[in-house]
Amino acid sequence: MIFLRRQLPLLITMVTGLLFAGQYYVPHPSSEQLLTSATKWLQIVGGFALVLGVTSLFHQHAAKIRRKEEGWGYSLVLYAGMLGTIAVGLWANGKESVEGAMTAFGWVYSYMMVPLQGTMFAILAFFIASAAYRSFRARSREAAVLLIAAVIVMMGRVPLGEYLIPLSGDVSQWILNVLNASVRRAILIGVSLGAVALSFKIIFGVERSYLGGGKE
Amino acid sequence: MTFSERMLKIDRRIIFLVIGLCTLLPLLYPVGLPIKISSEVRGVYEHIESLPERSVFFISFDFDPASKPELHPQAIALLRHAFRKNLRVVTMTLWVSGTGLADQIVTQVAKEMGKENGKDYVFLGWSPGNTAVIINLGQNLYKTFPSDYGGKPTNGLPVLDGVQSLRDVDYMVSLGAGNPGVEAWYVFGKDKYKFEMGGGCTGVMAPGLYPLLRSGQINGLIGGLRGAAEYESLIGQKGKAVAGMDAQSATHVAIIVLVMICNLFYFSMRRATGRQSQVGS
Repeated sequence: MIFLRRQLPLLITMVTGLLFAGQYYVPHPSSEQLLTSATKWLQIVGGFALVLGVTSLFHQHAAKIRRKEEGWGYSLVLYAGMLGTIAVGLWANGKESVEGAMTAFGWVYSYMMVPLQGTMFAILAFFIASAAYRSFRARSREAAVLLIAAVIVMMGRVPLGEYLIPLSGDVSQWILNVLNASVRRAILIGVSLGAVALSFKIIFGVERSYLGGGKE
Repeated sequence: MTFSERMLKIDRRIIFLVIGLCTLLPLLYPVGLPIKISSEVRGVYEHIESLPERSVFFISFDFDPASKPELHPQAIALLRHAFRKNLRVVTMTLWVSGTGLADQIVTQVAKEMGKENGKDYVFLGWSPGNTAVIINLGQNLYKTFPSDYGGKPTNGLPVLDGVQSLRDVDYMVSLGAGNPGVEAWYVFGKDKYKFEMGGGCTGVMAPGLYPLLRSGQINGLIGGLRGAAEYESLIGQKGKAVAGMDAQSATHVAIIVLVMICNLFYFSMRRATGRQSQVGS
C-alpha cells in the first residue's frame, strides 16, 4: 500500500516532471506529439475537475441546508440558481442563442448573470472611495510617498486630471513605466525563482505536501 | 468630539452619494474632454494597422461579465478595427463564464460590419483546461477545437485557411481580467509558438503587465476604460468608453478631493492632540 500511496506518485511526479522540463528544449516531432497528448489529457482532467467542483459544492451546501446552519438560506438560493441554470442550459443544449434568437439559457445569462456580476464589480467604486477616505492617511513618510504617487497616477489616468494638471499625464506614465515596472519585474523574478526551486523540490520528492497527510 | 474628528467619522452614505452623483451627472451631461493617446495603446493599433488584408488576427476574450464595463468596449473597438482592415478574425475564450458575452460581442460587431461567419470570422468558444488549451492550440488548432461555438466543423472553414496552429497567427491579443489572461498567453503561447502579441486588461491589472510591455514581450497594452477610450479615439468611432471617461474623470477627482480632505482633518486633529498633551505636561 505504501508503494501505491507514496512511492508510485513520487515516481510519476519525478519522471513526468523531468520529461516535460526537457521536452521544452527538444523540437523533434515525437517530442511535440508527446506534449500534444499530455495537454489533451490535461484538458480531459480539467473537464472532470469541473464536474468534481460542482459536485463538491452541491454536497457542501446540501449539508448546510440539512443542518439549518447559519446562512442556510443563501445555500438554498445557490441551489435554486445552479439547478435552474443547469436545467435551462440542458434544455437549450448549452446555447445562448439559436439562429439569432435568444434561448432561455441566453436570457438567464444576459439578464441575470451579466447585470448581477456587473453590479457586484460596480459596487467596489463606492467602497474604495469610502475606504480611501477613512484609511488613506499620510501617517508616515512611506505612506505619504504612496499617497502622492497614487494621487499623481489617478490624476494622470483621466482626461480631467490631465486638463487640470497637464504634467500629471507624463509623470504618471513615468511612474508606471519606470518605478512600477522595475519593482514589478523584481517581484516577478523573485516569484519565478521561487517557483523553479519549488518545482525542483516537488520533482525530487523533497516537497510532498501535495500527497496529502493520510495514514500510510 | 472635535469638528475634525466628526468629519473623519463622516457617514459613509454621504461618500456613496458623492460618488454616485459624480458617476451619474457626467453620463447625463457629457463634457467630452480630449483624450491623449498613450504609446502602449498606439502599439496595438499600429500593429493591426500594419497587417496586410486577410492576415490572421486572433483574439481571446479572457473575461467574464464582472469586467464588462472595461473590457467590452476594448473588444468592440478591436473587432471594429480588425474587420475594417479586412483581417480574418479568430476568437475564443478561456473563461467559461465569458462565453456568452464573447459570442454576443463577435456576433454584434460582425453584423454591424457586414462580415460572414466562417469566412471572415469564427468564434471557437470555450474548452476546459485553462493554459493547456493554449499549448494545445499551439500544437494543433483543429484537435483543440474540432468545431466552432455553433457546432460547425473548424476543418475546412475559409477563415482558417492555412492556419494549423498558433504559429500561423499574425497577431494575437488577449483581453484578460485575471488568470488565465495576458500573462498565460505570453508564457504558454507566444514564448513557445513565436507569434506577435498585444494585450488588454482591466485598469487595476495594467500596472502588473508593464514589465512585459517594457521588455517587448507584448508590443502594446490597452489598460482599462482609459485604454478603450484611447482605442475608440484612434479608430475614430467613439463609443461607450469615451462616454464613460467623463464619469471616470469625475470619480477620480472626487476620490482625490476626499483623500485630501481626510488628510487635512487628520493633521488638524493630530496637531490639536499634540497641543493638548503639551498643555497637560
